[in-house]
Amino acid sequence: MMLMVQDLRVTFPLDGKTGLRAVDGVSFDLAPGASLGIVGETGAGKTTIARALLGLHPPGCVQGSIRLDGRELVGLSEEAWRAIRWRRIALVPQSVGTALDPVYRVGDQIAEPLRYHLGLSPAEAWDRSLELARRVGLEPRHLRAYPHQLSGGEKQRALLAMALSCAPDILVLDEPTSGQDMLSRARLLDLLDALCREGGMGLLVISHDLAAVARLTERVAVLYAGQLVEVGPTAEVFQDPRHPYTWGLLHAYPDMSTARDLRGIRGAPPDPANPPPGCRFHPRCTQAIDRCRREEPPLREIGGRWIACHLGGLQTLLRAEGLRKTFFVDGGEPEERVEAVREATLDIREGEVVALVGETGSGKTTLGQMLVGLLPPNGGRVVLEGRELTAAKGKERRAMMSRIQLIPQDPFDAVSPRLTVAEMVREPLDIQAIGTPEEREAKVRQALQTVGLPTSSDFLARRAHELSGGQLQRVVLARALVLEPKLIVADEPVSMLDPSEQARVINLLKEIQTERGLALLLISHDLALVRKIADRILVMHRGQIVEEGPGNRIVTRPEHEHTRVLLEAAPRLG
Amino acid sequence: MGVGRRAFVYLLTFWVILTLNFLLPRLLPGDPLAALLDPSSSDYVYDPQVRAALAAYYGLDRPLPEQYGRYLLGILTGDLGRSIRLNRPVAELVVGHLPWTLLLVGTALLFSSALALLAGTESAWRRGSWADRGLVSASILLANVPVYFAGMMLLLLFGARLRWLPLAGGRTPFARYPSALAAALDIGRHLILPALTLTLAMLGAKFLLVRNATVNVLGEDFMLVARAKGLPEGRLKWGHALRNALLPFVAHLAAHAGMAVTGAVFIETLFSYPGMGRLIFESVTARDYPVIQGAFLVVSAVVLTANFLADIINLHLDPRLREGGAVG
Repeated sequence: MMLMVQDLRVTFPLDGKTGLRAVDGVSFDLAPGASLGIVGETGAGKTTIARALLGLHPPGCVQGSIRLDGRELVGLSEEAWRAIRWRRIALVPQSVGTALDPVYRVGDQIAEPLRYHLGLSPAEAWDRSLELARRVGLEPRHLRAYPHQLSGGEKQRALLAMALSCAPDILVLDEPTSGQDMLSRARLLDLLDALCREGGMGLLVISHDLAAVARLTERVAVLYAGQLVEVGPTAEVFQDPRHPYTWGLLHAYPDMSTARDLRGIRGAPPDPANPPPGCRFHPRCTQAIDRCRREEPPLREIGGRWIACHLGGLQTLLRAEGLRKTFFVDGGEPEERVEAVREATLDIREGEVVALVGETGSGKTTLGQMLVGLLPPNGGRVVLEGRELTAAKGKERRAMMSRIQLIPQDPFDAVSPRLTVAEMVREPLDIQAIGTPEEREAKVRQALQTVGLPTSSDFLARRAHELSGGQLQRVVLARALVLEPKLIVADEPVSMLDPSEQARVINLLKEIQTERGLALLLISHDLALVRKIADRILVMHRGQIVEEGPGNRIVTRPEHEHTRVLLEAAPRLG
Repeated sequence: MGVGRRAFVYLLTFWVILTLNFLLPRLLPGDPLAALLDPSSSDYVYDPQVRAALAAYYGLDRPLPEQYGRYLLGILTGDLGRSIRLNRPVAELVVGHLPWTLLLVGTALLFSSALALLAGTESAWRRGSWADRGLVSASILLANVPVYFAGMMLLLLFGARLRWLPLAGGRTPFARYPSALAAALDIGRHLILPALTLTLAMLGAKFLLVRNATVNVLGEDFMLVARAKGLPEGRLKWGHALRNALLPFVAHLAAHAGMAVTGAVFIETLFSYPGMGRLIFESVTARDYPVIQGAFLVVSAVVLTANFLADIINLHLDPRLREGGAVG
């Protein structure tokens, strides 16, 4: 093992006795010729790790252990670090624009470490710089230029040539693609890829550019608020993220192959001077339990992946196995039955948006009603948060059912025309007997505000027929929200609305889903609409789920015949 | 901007100054020479020769454009008018005094700059340490001590009490030197105290400037990269940090060339040093207007030249200022 980082902690002194812990107990290692990516949001501590590896922090800030071929680097003197820097570990810094000294020619800056580390004469060093420049695709004229005469991409290459000058054992790339336009970014990635393949050199890529990390590294470590939350092979982690943070990060990343709108992770990263107790991600996590607020989860291996989560990673919120529903035509023979749903199996994970798509009569509404417990299945079972909904009875069942809320296709079906807006929204609270009347009133107002409706007494007193379709749909949504469900099943929630109101309600639904960390099952016939917000799409045809996959895959490379039919039928302008 | 264009701008500035120098006395209420030529005035010039020379020089009876033309022509041929007090051409006086000031200011500039660069860089390198804080406090103090006070103290100590150094003058009066070396030694001995005073007067501000500029440079990303490259401390400190801090420093030198001359007026007066400052001071006291004007002109020219030189130096120091930006 070439580089071993164990329990690395970097603390910067703040005023007084408290310190800012930028990196808190990070461990990883890097074998010769191996590559590791460290990804995370801005401020997660990525650059702090890079600098710690070169001993650039003030003495006393770094604790833990950094071993290079068994030799401890933490605590080395500045003099001893000098011999490590660039010869053993070199850095391509993040701030391309300002990383070169403006008063020296680029070539002289590339040659500089050659002269001091390898003792080359100015002429020899210059010749070597020319050679290095060629390797990174720069010409001699670039070396004779001053930094301000080069473009961002050229500077990035010059910095790369500079980092390679002493043939380091480990190359640290700090945000290698930041600030580059897409074309120079692609060229740079090709170049880095080729350089890495030449072999021997360990590569540490620190970036929020997930695509770059995916391209350049074999393994990836996900950093959140100074701690690693997930470590594993890059391809696997990006294909199948297990930690809720990784999952959110991947969903926030713009990707050419996705038609879905971007979603952020709710909330904001914690203040590093004042991290939350317990798991640092818990305030933003949709599945946090009490233990997450109290105890810091250790990074442990779960099925070939290292994950720091008390729950072992992303949880399945709802699981349906082999659900069947058969309707018999009244008074008819057994042959005249309608198999509405046949052997439907599906998973919905915490905070996930799943779309169930199919044409009218495909059985999707029936499936939705079985999932929320409105319709008993003829076979199979529904498991909610680890407990079987289909087997639950009485009070337990009622409590479980309040965790799932259904928004029906026609809002007029959901509410009694005799009730006022206030009563409609409050009804579930009354039925479940939750809170005092005042508390219920407050919840009603809050829910109405969330869905963007007025809370004036005039509005609260209106009845269903006095509302527009969009308003009524929002009232129904507010009614679903008062019980603070974990999952909302929305059956064609916007099909009755005009297109601009459709867009508004869908965006609202998505917003509430992200903010509250709900899971959402969107039942719709409209692929064009659901692909904008769905993480995963299930296609249903004649009572069966015929295809399932990430939204982008379903839309760009449909596998099932019927999915193609649905795509063909999706509205298109021009 | 290239050197050529810069030179043009400076020449233009000098021309504006020349013109102001011409116009200002003529803009005064009445005739600038009226008082000098009027027997009832307290400023009346008694020497008829000087009166005639003045009248001819200003040529006030001629139309303004012609006066201006003669004035410019006169300056080009080195005619700056004639001193009322000494009845000698102003040009001759300037030639006699200017070298002393250049010697004094040049020496002080050299020493104060060298000291400021060394101490400023070291202080910035150890920013926050006791040595740094001490130096910063000392320089703030130094920068605020009046020049004449510091000079007086030095004069009292080394000149009057210890008698190590001469009290006044630029050289020993009436001395005959057997060799050039002896002359240099004598001039050097007379130079020490005034140059030291001026050095101290300049040192505080220069030190603070270098220190702060270097602290700024040390915070730059390229310094972190240079450190990451494993370069030796000397290379980091002098080759990268100071090298970049030189840019604001040279700009400061240019901007303060005029101040250096003003400082010299005080010091030359205090030490009876035979430079331009003393000439200006004595001319002001004697209301010797032609000399004041001529000296003003020459000092402007010197300041402009200093600025121009600083610009050229900065052009060499900072590749970003060079025109064209052509690669290679």
